[in-house]
Parts: sequence; structure tokens; C-alpha cells
Amino acid sequence: MDRRTFIKLTAISGTSATLASCGVPEHQLIRFVPDEELVPGVAEWKPSVCPLCNSGCGLNVRVMQADVEVAKDGQQGVVRMGVAKKLEGFATHPISQGGLCARGQAAIQVTYHPDRIVQPLKRTGERGAGGFQQITWEQAISELVSQLDGVATAGPQGLAVVTGGRRSQRQVLLEQFAAKFGAASPVVYELFSDDLLRRANAMSFGFAQLPTFDLANAAYVIGFGADFLGTWNSPVAHASAYGRMKRGRPGIRGAFVQVEARITPTGASADQWVAANPGTEGVLALGLAHVILRDKLRPADGGRAGALIDGWAAGLPDYAPDKVTTLTGVSTTRIERLAKEIAERSPAVAIVGGVPLAHTNGLFTALAVNALNQLLGAVGQKGGVFFTPQLSRPQAGGRRTLAQLTAGAAPRVLIVDDANPLHTAPRAWKVREAFEKVPFIVSFAQFVDETSALADLILPDHSFLEAWADAAPESGSIQGVVSIAPPAMKPLFQTRATGDVLLEVSRKLQKPLGLPWQTYDEMLKATLAPLGETAWTTAQKQAGWWGELPKAVAVQPTPADPKAPTATYAAPTFDGDATEYPFMFLPYASAAFLDGSLAHLPWMQELPDPMTSAMWTSWVELNPKTAERLGIELGDQVEVTSSVGSLRVPAFLNPGLSPDIIAMPVGQGHTNFTRYASKRGSNPVDILAPMTHVETGTLAWAATRVKVARVGDPDGSLIMFSARGELREHPHEGEYR
Amino acid sequence: MSVHRFGIQMRFAPALCAVMTCVAATGCGWLDDRPAPVDGAPYTASAQTPNPRFTTAHETFGAAVNDYFWVKSTPQQPIEFPHNIHVEKGLACTEYCHEAVTKGPQAGLPSVNTCLICHAAIATDKPRIQQITQMQEKGLDLNWQRVYGFAPMAHVRFNHAPHIRANVECATCHGDIAHQTVAQRNVDLHMGYCVNCHREKNAPNDCLTCHY
Repeated sequence: MDRRTFIKLTAISGTSATLASCGVPEHQLIRFVPDEELVPGVAEWKPSVCPLCNSGCGLNVRVMQADVEVAKDGQQGVVRMGVAKKLEGFATHPISQGGLCARGQAAIQVTYHPDRIVQPLKRTGERGAGGFQQITWEQAISELVSQLDGVATAGPQGLAVVTGGRRSQRQVLLEQFAAKFGAASPVVYELFSDDLLRRANAMSFGFAQLPTFDLANAAYVIGFGADFLGTWNSPVAHASAYGRMKRGRPGIRGAFVQVEARITPTGASADQWVAANPGTEGVLALGLAHVILRDKLRPADGGRAGALIDGWAAGLPDYAPDKVTTLTGVSTTRIERLAKEIAERSPAVAIVGGVPLAHTNGLFTALAVNALNQLLGAVGQKGGVFFTPQLSRPQAGGRRTLAQLTAGAAPRVLIVDDANPLHTAPRAWKVREAFEKVPFIVSFAQFVDETSALADLILPDHSFLEAWADAAPESGSIQGVVSIAPPAMKPLFQTRATGDVLLEVSRKLQKPLGLPWQTYDEMLKATLAPLGETAWTTAQKQAGWWGELPKAVAVQPTPADPKAPTATYAAPTFDGDATEYPFMFLPYASAAFLDGSLAHLPWMQELPDPMTSAMWTSWVELNPKTAERLGIELGDQVEVTSSVGSLRVPAFLNPGLSPDIIAMPVGQGHTNFTRYASKRGSNPVDILAPMTHVETGTLAWAATRVKVARVGDPDGSLIMFSARGELREHPHEGEYR
Repeated sequence: MSVHRFGIQMRFAPALCAVMTCVAATGCGWLDDRPAPVDGAPYTASAQTPNPRFTTAHETFGAAVNDYFWVKSTPQQPIEFPHNIHVEKGLACTEYCHEAVTKGPQAGLPSVNTCLICHAAIATDKPRIQQITQMQEKGLDLNWQRVYGFAPMAHVRFNHAPHIRANVECATCHGDIAHQTVAQRNVDLHMGYCVNCHREKNAPNDCLTCHY
């Protein structure tokens, strides 16, 4: 056949194809009358608030007209409506300042996720088997009301509430709901809880909240393990301020030293990276303070924070450089040099958070760094530590921990909101077993996850773009901030805002709870009422209110407790015998998924981890020397075993890791969390021992020892974004094998 | 030895033609794999498997072939909308129905709500008007079909607003709609048509004017 014949034949077959495909029926769906008139093709920008972490970033949402497939009255059809297409940071918002992190960019996928729960679900069949029946909202609410009415007659302790501790009015509403119902206040469970730091800040400075750092004006910053540019506290605000610290002041370039046992993305940005033995970061902070006091580099003013440290008045004799070197592994000359640098360059500030506070001696570490900050004169000063003014709110008393809830008698009804303890709590707390004993579980989840799969009733919440969104940031700004925004788009599915559902239920109970609001936005409006007449209307236009908080409504510092015991260093304790389990196990918040709550977002799965470039998977990090000793190579299957269980994961060799540490990102290993996260990777929380901080009852998540063994060849599950120019690399596959 | 440049491909040509024909023949109604309507059916919450969806610029193979040969289907409009009557009564195209034309890229299609601004009172005895009144009461809208438009693979964008600002008549591209009932494709809007007009009017002729 020659070329001409080929072309002729192609033309003939093409024509026949054309004929055959003529009259392809258009996709005929009924079309509903639109509720809003929009200019097609022209974007409108609306404010919103990012819901993915507690930072409370103000968003600018690009809304455009689109045809959306929806179900109305049981009919499937198309409607023309304004839908969110892109998220950016709101330019004038004090937290986001026009920026947004990768997680915030991916928040758009929450709304359009193919596995969103589109209407209330009632469990059918065995609990946990995943069988649900779609029901109407009327049925769902009457079911919940009748269950709660059943509790009211059976005694007030029959209701328990578990939340993720979101800093928003929704948490206040749940607290009020529980209080008026006569139940205990909600159990707040976060894997990477900052309660210990809040406790330390309350003791040292009188504010039980996360600190805000004026990085933009700082000349010298020393970080102790806090991944403040990546996952900890208010990363967007920090990143913006960090940029100004480095390049925003002509002639002044701030210096940044990071002390940690495993390099974080924040540590990778530092000018100096100091490896200290895990759990000794507080000792190093006091070693620096010792040198400053000894050489009188700064006025010896430890104030309230210094008074909490044993031996402060005597010049910290226990923290002389040679002693500190023995404990931390940091050389004496380096300690002396760091102390001189930090004292010479003013303003200087120290930051502590994350891993150092997850050891059992975390409170000491936090108090030590607080005292160093006080000595540096950083508290409340330009370039130092601030506490974002907070609106005072009714205090929830008598809070139980998750471990106490699961150890106690099962409540009659359990409400779960914005928490997935089945994935993020250690197995030894027996959360699954405890929840299985609860006769009736209600969840407000937008997606079926491990915890909501156990629920008897799922009342799906709107996506944040479809509902009133709010946050009360506890850090990230020196002035007071309340982030609030109206819905940016109409709901796509038969979901309802959880705040409104709770208020409706509270009215329909046999004994109505008498909450003073009809709807959630009324509650938000009432919250802003003390901030002036225009606060409410202004806030809706710019994703929040910010400014000077009137003193009458602001939280005031608590006075120092003169009887507070002084803190002294005690070596961190670990679960597991050091001879049998030679390595410290360090799970860390994944840059993509935080504690795993974002693993359902495919963009986040596709995001290469900043330090390893791995994606769509789990891995365990070993120091190359350790790996060589154990005969482990990149991608090899290794078994990590603790006293409570074991995991099989591919290995990644990371030189920025102490040789006695095994690190692993948290976030994967979901058994049931949408099509993107289910059965992918492993969950390091599964092998965590239930070690807690004595002071707060929170989990000491870096206090487990493990052993590691090579168990198999690479199976291709370690997917990496290559630095060698290819898009993806599967180590040890094909030519790499 | 002379080797035909297309030698290798030619060997597969008959098979290729046969496959193309078969595929095209099944092109009608192929690959309509949208999710089934929600009707209170049991809901499985265990990890769902992804829907293996055919994703190309065209919904079906047949549509791709049609586009290649510039064969456009004749849209079937939900009602026989008489453009001529409305224009005769003095309504300008851009006044109520396609009002977005002056504001943005797309002219916009009116919803039944727009029809009933006038027709709540005018010509209420006509069957078509009664039909759309009933539809609006049920919350249903008219499913207008697109008459003009470009395939996504053409990577061309058209913005109405600057053309209206430059006083280009609607009829230049849409033909004499004023004397038609249902809108028909009067003009083939291929690239040459756009470029000639841009040249005549000294409008920019960069590739990036339309292909961006």
C-alpha cells in the first residue's frame, strides 16, 4: 500500500465514522431555574476563611458561573450557578496577607471531592461495615432529636462530644450545647496538640495560647524544633514575616538558627542547623541563658518566666556549657558562640514547638525557652513574642481527655465533629472498642473516614465555601483578629451547616436548650457585637475583623502562681527498653496532610514532600549510617516494631537525621477515607505507645522506642519526584534495579 | 535499496482503518458513564474505586471525527424561540436576553425568569408562554443548546465585550438573526473569517490575541 492509498482509505473510514456518529444524542439533563444571575465568563472575588488548620487565614475566592449537576427533589439535573474556582490569600487579612500555603490552595478540592457525602446517611447493617442508607434531613433531625430525648430521661451524663478543638465559634456552640444539655464539656482531641505549650505560656506569661512572633522585625531567631514555616502554628503568617526578616529591610538581614534532631523544611531554611539530642532542647536553651547571665551580656531579668526555672537566681549553675555539651551533644564552643550572637543581635527571639514538646519532658523545654525569651527581652517587644489579643468567651470547665473518655463508661449518645480519633489516637487507648460500645454515634463529617464509618447517623456539613466560615486565630497577628465570611457559593448537595443543624436540634428537643441564636450567622453576629457597629458589615467584606480589641472583651493575662513548682531537667522517658528497641521513633506532621486530615485531597497526595520528594505514599527515614549498619538501601521494605505493634514501610535515607532516630510522616495509612487516601501507606500512630504528658494528659507522641529490620526488596511503593529531571521516579524499578 | 518512508505504518493501515470504522460505528452514545441519579439507593461508604472515565477533548470518538471534518450537529432547542418577533417589537439583542455581552466574554442565555419579566403579563394565552410559565413554577429552566462555539482542542477564546465596544454588529458573525425564528448557524466562524475581519479593521492579529 502506498501513501496515496492510505490517505484515501483514511478518508473513507473517516467519512463512514462521521456518518455513523451523526446524531449522537446530546447529553440531555433537565435544567433547573438558576437562583442567581451572573455575568458569564466574568470572575467575582468573594472572601472566605480557610478551614484546614487553626491559623484562620482569610481567603479570596474566585467565583464564576458554571453549569453544575445537582439533585433537587430527587431529580438529577443541571443548574447554572456561581461556583468557586480558585483560592488565594486575602490581601489585607493580617494572617494570610495575600498568601496561602499549598494546603490552603488545595482546600478547593474539599468542595468538589467526588466522595463527598451528599445527603444525610443512616447506618444499615453491622457497625463499621460501611453500609449506609440515604435519608432526608427531616428524618435525620427527628432521629437525632429522639435519641437525645432518650438521653435526657436517662441522665445528663449520657451525652459525650468529641471535637478537633477548632478555634471557631462552632467549638463554642458545641460547648454551649453540651453545657445546656447537662453533659460534660467536649473532649478535644488533636494528635499534634499544643496544649502543653499553652500551659507553659500561661505559667510563664499569663496567656494560655500559642505565641505570635514578630519575625519581620527580628534580627536573630533561634528555633527549637518548631516547623513554623511548614506545619506548626500559623505558617502563612510566619512565612511572610520571615521573608521580610530576610529581605524586607535594606541593610539588615536577620539570622536564623534551628536546633532539632531531624531536619524540617524550616530547618532547611536556617542559616545554621544545630543537631541536639532529642529531648534536650530545653537544656541547650538554658545553656545559652547560663552564658548570657555569666558574661552579663544582658540584664539578668528572667521575670516571671525565669522564676519558674530551678537555679535561675543563682545563674543556672546546672547548665554550664560543659554539662550542656554532655547532655545535648552540641560542642561547648558552639554554645558559647551562639550565646554571644544571640545576645549581641537585638531584637532576638526563641521559638519552641513541635517535636521537643512531644517528649515527656516537654513542659520543662517550653518553660526553659520561655525563660530564655524573657532574658532576651523579647516578650511583648518589637521583633519578639506577642500574644494575639483574644475575645473572651465562656470557659468550658472540667474538660476530659480522650483517654479518660474511652476508659470510662460508654455514653448513651456520642457526637463527633471535626475529629478522627480512630486514625490519630494510639491503639492502646482503645478508641474503636470504646466507640463500638456507644449505642448511638452522630457525626458531622463531610467524608466517610475511620471514625464516621462507625456512626449511626451522618449529618454532612456544608463545605466551608458553601457556609458561613469563621475562625478565631490565637496567633499569627499582633492585633486582634476574628476571621468571618459569608458563603461564597450555594450548596452543591443536600448538606447543611452543622451550626444551623445543632441550633435546630436544640430547639426541637422536648426540653429546648434555649440557646440565644436561631442560626449560626446570628451567633457570629452576636460575637462581633462588642467590636462596634460596623464590625459585622466590615468583616463580611474583608474575610474578618481586625484591630484594637476593647479591653472589656479581651482576655487578660492571669497572675503568676507563687506556689508553682520550679522546673528542672529530667531526661525524657520512652516506652520500650533501649536494648531491645534501640531507636527513638519520631512521627512528624506531614507537610501535605498535617495529622492525616487532608489525605483525601489528591493535590496533597501529589505534593512531593519538601525534604524527601516522596508522594502518594508512606516512608520511614533513617540516617545513612544506620541504614548501612542494618543493610538497608533506598526503597527497601523495612519493618518498624515498637512494644505495641509493627509497620512495613519503604526506607528513605536522610542524612539530616540523628543516627539513633527513625522518623516517619503522619497522614497516610487510612483504612477508609475516600478513594485517594484509603489503603495507601501506613499510619505511624498505630505503633505509638500511650505515653502522655503528666501535666496536660496530652499524648507525648515522640516517646516511643522502636527497632528496625530489613524485610524485603523494594516493591515500588516509594514514589519520588525526581531531582534528575524525570517527573516521577520509582527507585529500584526498571533500569534502577 | 530504497525504503519507503511510510513502509512500516503502511503495513498496519488496513487494520487501522478497520478499527477506526468499528470504533466510529459504536461512537453513538458511547461512554456515557456519568453517575446514576440519586434516588435513596443504598450508599456504600467503603473505599470506592475510581470511575474509569474516558477523558479527551471530545466526549465521544464520533464527536472528534465530526469536529475534524467541521461537521456540526444542528442543535435542538427546547422551544421554537422566535427571534424575529422580539426584534420587531423593538427589543435589542443586548437589552435583556444577552445582556452580559457588553460585560464579558460570553453573551449569556436568558433563564425563564428573564422571559417572564415581560411574559408574566404579555401574550399569556399563547401555548409556548403557558409552557414556560409552567416550567418556571416547577423550578425548571430551558435547556438552550449552544449554536456557536469552539472545540476545546482549538484553544481559541472569543470575548464578546470588546467586539461590542468596537461597534461590530451582532449580524457580522451571527447573520440575520433578526429575521429568523430559531437561531441557526449562519456563518462558519473559522480562523480565516476572524483574521480577515481583524485585518480590515486594524484589530490586533497576534496569535495570542485569541489563542491564549
